[in-house]
Amino acid sequence: MEQPKVGVFLSDCGKQLSEILDFDALTNFVKGVPNVALIARGSEFWRGKGLQTIVDAVKTGKINRVVVAESITKVSDVNIAQAVEDAGLNSYLVEVLDIKDHCAWPHRNAPKEATEKAKAMLLSAIERAKLLEPIEKLEFPALKSALVIGGGIGGMQTAVDLADLGFEVNLIEKQPFLGGLAARAGRFFPTDDCAICIQPPSSDVKTITHTSRKCVYRSGLSEIPNLNILTNASVVAVEGVPGNYKVTIEKKPRYVDADKCVACDKCVSVCPVEAPDEYNANLTNRKAIYINVPSVYPQIYTIDEDACKFKDCAKCVSACPTNAIDLDQKPEQVTYNVGSIIVATGFKEFDASAIKEYHYDNYPDVITNLELARMIDSFGPTGGAIVRPSDGKPAKKIVFVQCAGSRDRRYNPYCSGICCMISLKNASLIKEANPDAEVSICYIDIRTTGREHEYYYERARDMGIKFIKGRPTEIYADEEKGKLIVDVEDALLKRFLDLEADLVVLATAMVPPEGTAELAEILDIDLEADGFFKEYNAKLRPTETKQKGIFLCGGATFPKDAPTTSLHAHSAALKAAKFLNSGKIVKDLRTAIINDEYCGDCEFCPVMCPFGAITLEPTTENHFVARVNDLLCEGCGVCVGTCPLNAIELKNSTPNQMAAQIDALLSVNGTSKPLVLAICCQECGHTAVDSSGMAKMEYPANVRIIKVPCAGIVRVNQILEAFKAGAQGVMIVGCKTDGCHYEVGSEKAENKADSAKVLLKEYGIEPERLEMFKMVYIEGAQFAEAAQMMTERVAKLGTLKLMGDS
Amino acid sequence: MLHHNVKKAEAISFSEEVTCRHGGETLTACYQCGTCASSCPVARLDSRFNPREILKLALLGEKDEVLSGDAIWLCTSCFNCQERCPQNVEIAELIFALRNIAIEAGNSPNIYADFGGALIADGRIVAISKFVEKKREEFGLPPLKPVGVEDLNKILEATGFTKPEQKEASK
Repeated sequence: MEQPKVGVFLSDCGKQLSEILDFDALTNFVKGVPNVALIARGSEFWRGKGLQTIVDAVKTGKINRVVVAESITKVSDVNIAQAVEDAGLNSYLVEVLDIKDHCAWPHRNAPKEATEKAKAMLLSAIERAKLLEPIEKLEFPALKSALVIGGGIGGMQTAVDLADLGFEVNLIEKQPFLGGLAARAGRFFPTDDCAICIQPPSSDVKTITHTSRKCVYRSGLSEIPNLNILTNASVVAVEGVPGNYKVTIEKKPRYVDADKCVACDKCVSVCPVEAPDEYNANLTNRKAIYINVPSVYPQIYTIDEDACKFKDCAKCVSACPTNAIDLDQKPEQVTYNVGSIIVATGFKEFDASAIKEYHYDNYPDVITNLELARMIDSFGPTGGAIVRPSDGKPAKKIVFVQCAGSRDRRYNPYCSGICCMISLKNASLIKEANPDAEVSICYIDIRTTGREHEYYYERARDMGIKFIKGRPTEIYADEEKGKLIVDVEDALLKRFLDLEADLVVLATAMVPPEGTAELAEILDIDLEADGFFKEYNAKLRPTETKQKGIFLCGGATFPKDAPTTSLHAHSAALKAAKFLNSGKIVKDLRTAIINDEYCGDCEFCPVMCPFGAITLEPTTENHFVARVNDLLCEGCGVCVGTCPLNAIELKNSTPNQMAAQIDALLSVNGTSKPLVLAICCQECGHTAVDSSGMAKMEYPANVRIIKVPCAGIVRVNQILEAFKAGAQGVMIVGCKTDGCHYEVGSEKAENKADSAKVLLKEYGIEPERLEMFKMVYIEGAQFAEAAQMMTERVAKLGTLKLMGDS
Repeated sequence: MLHHNVKKAEAISFSEEVTCRHGGETLTACYQCGTCASSCPVARLDSRFNPREILKLALLGEKDEVLSGDAIWLCTSCFNCQERCPQNVEIAELIFALRNIAIEAGNSPNIYADFGGALIADGRIVAISKFVEKKREEFGLPPLKPVGVEDLNKILEATGFTKPEQKEASK
């Protein structure tokens, strides 16, 4: 490789830094460092004239490594890297250090010491620059197609968005009809309109393009040429990588040919078999050949294979005027190649029979909100009448019980978030249709936190709905009166009420649907403790997952109302589109490299990798070695820190490079205080150092900072070697355990610090010379405090004596 | 998931005093839903006792009100409330913890002092009465004999049971 020729660019940040640091001393020091080919001083180097100086030096070939001492690193990094790349030098051959926030400002009251620290920082950057390697970009093809799993309102809207943007979209739904949970809810808050409308596709040229919404059955969903809808279908296997997945889908038979069925209803009239209608909460029966409701989508009948007598009956076959019924249909498997996958599997009602004291499983008149919604729906089993399922008589006294299985540590500790609104809406609908009905809501807290939501609460009070602050302990049957009794304390009155009810409606918790864990397994994405899919970052990336090509939409991450589900759907579509748009994925190959010679047969790195980028593959010598998928690897280095055989290296964060930096940082002291090395992760740890400097918080100049990609990359032997290199104390500064940018890195670093402490003790070194800290950017004060504390602690311990020292 | 990262105040509040007790740990989980109150057979009959109210008072630091009244002594320890609490608050255990604090503060009803004294003296909480003897005879049960208290007292001594009793006696 070409001999390194390092250009060092020293910015005094508009002369302010030269008032603190001795720039002449710095220049002279740098001059003496081997391989330094150019030194330039200026006011700033990250833009304008200063940046041009760098570009010119690169273009003339005078330098092939760039070290810039600047003041606002985070912006300079990007600007300088881009300019250098444009000038023809790989952007990874640049090292930028922040001598303002990491040196001049925090140590401004000890200028001499600060100058010595600046020397150490410059030397460290130069030594690192010499060892830097260019990193190439790799292109991976991305298919401009997507799979959307789940045909509820979330999945449908994501599918329409992506189809509108020109992607090939496959929308699959487990049930025979689209609509999901939403379709059964009847009406929605906060718009008070029907549940089952979606945004119309823009390909629908027959209507005004800006119409706000359309019923699914007239939305033209099936006519979108690049949208393929499969019902009765579920994912059974996924192979491949982001941008190029091969998905296997199993399609259950419908026994009705979609191309022939004209939805004439003749089959239903001849079908002799009745089965419970699960769509209508089993409150009624339907035939073995059926559609859910007249407005269902697709408008194609389906046969319930558990109920149908098939060839023993076959009356429908002869009744069908278009010969659409095919009782010989078999399950089939289809495969699609897609660039990304969107999970829109929604949620379901919690099975309230778990709460024994509410008797959901043995009192027919104890129902759930969804079952009530089916009654309210004029398409539903009672044609809109609110009745007691036990005897079909009108229900006059109705009691809602909130938080049935939510906010309950025995079942679901979380607030499901939407049930208060659902109950307020349903209670109001009942009261609207039957003003004489006596409606009460037993609540712990009423939560109406969206726009227009509080209005539902106001309206409910205005309509005369009674609110009882208290969670009932039991629902029991009064056989004599033929009523249910809800046993509750009104906490505000401190009075015990035995509320009589014809109908008790449980506002059940919302939980993940069946098959969620299995799907997570197939897709290799994580679940939260609550059982819902885990988003990549709850605050900023709510529709992404740890797998770059897989996105989450709607209730799949947590129960959501319709407005939030729509937001989620559009977000997921945008994220998937952004990912696939260019038809390729371009990625810097700053990835982990396995040394096959050392690697063998353990499973640490594949298990630990937060991105599932490492697999074990058999080799010819009959053992396994780790293989890194360059597309999936994010370059955190957690695997490096995990490998017990030191068989993994991360490009440009190799042990050699780190050792050279550490040696340099500890080679110049210039203070009477003991040198403390702070190994900071590039995310929260290093930014906490930034913020302490930016806020001019002071800590001693003997604290030297080295940046690593993630605290998880640090190995125990590196910690020990830091002491050997002259550190009197070592700090590891990482993200908070829950906030680690690479999930497990901070936690692993802490484990390693603990192990290193044990070893230090063995070697006769005080373990308190080593400490792990976890902080975030805004905790700069905590960093300054920790640096001060470690300095004092180490000073108190006295000079470190290593074995072999005299 | 969020974790607690709250620095403790210098002065220990009453609710903290309760939560560091055995049985009192779950107090702060209470969100006043009232399931305990509607589960409670005593609260229905006697307005002096309402488990939800006691927890609220404890949470608000109303130490004197909790410890001085009759309320905490009325619980029958049926555990209905504890079984049904959606926040897994160990309500019956909490009442025990509050009673322990009350006894330490010298606030136990006389009958408890009597029980304690009887236990130390005779090894029984309820003294053998003529009525009991007669009933047992009627049922064909053998008469109750005095039990040895020497071994029992060793246990009572070791567990500190005798101390609050002495405190009571010295009052």
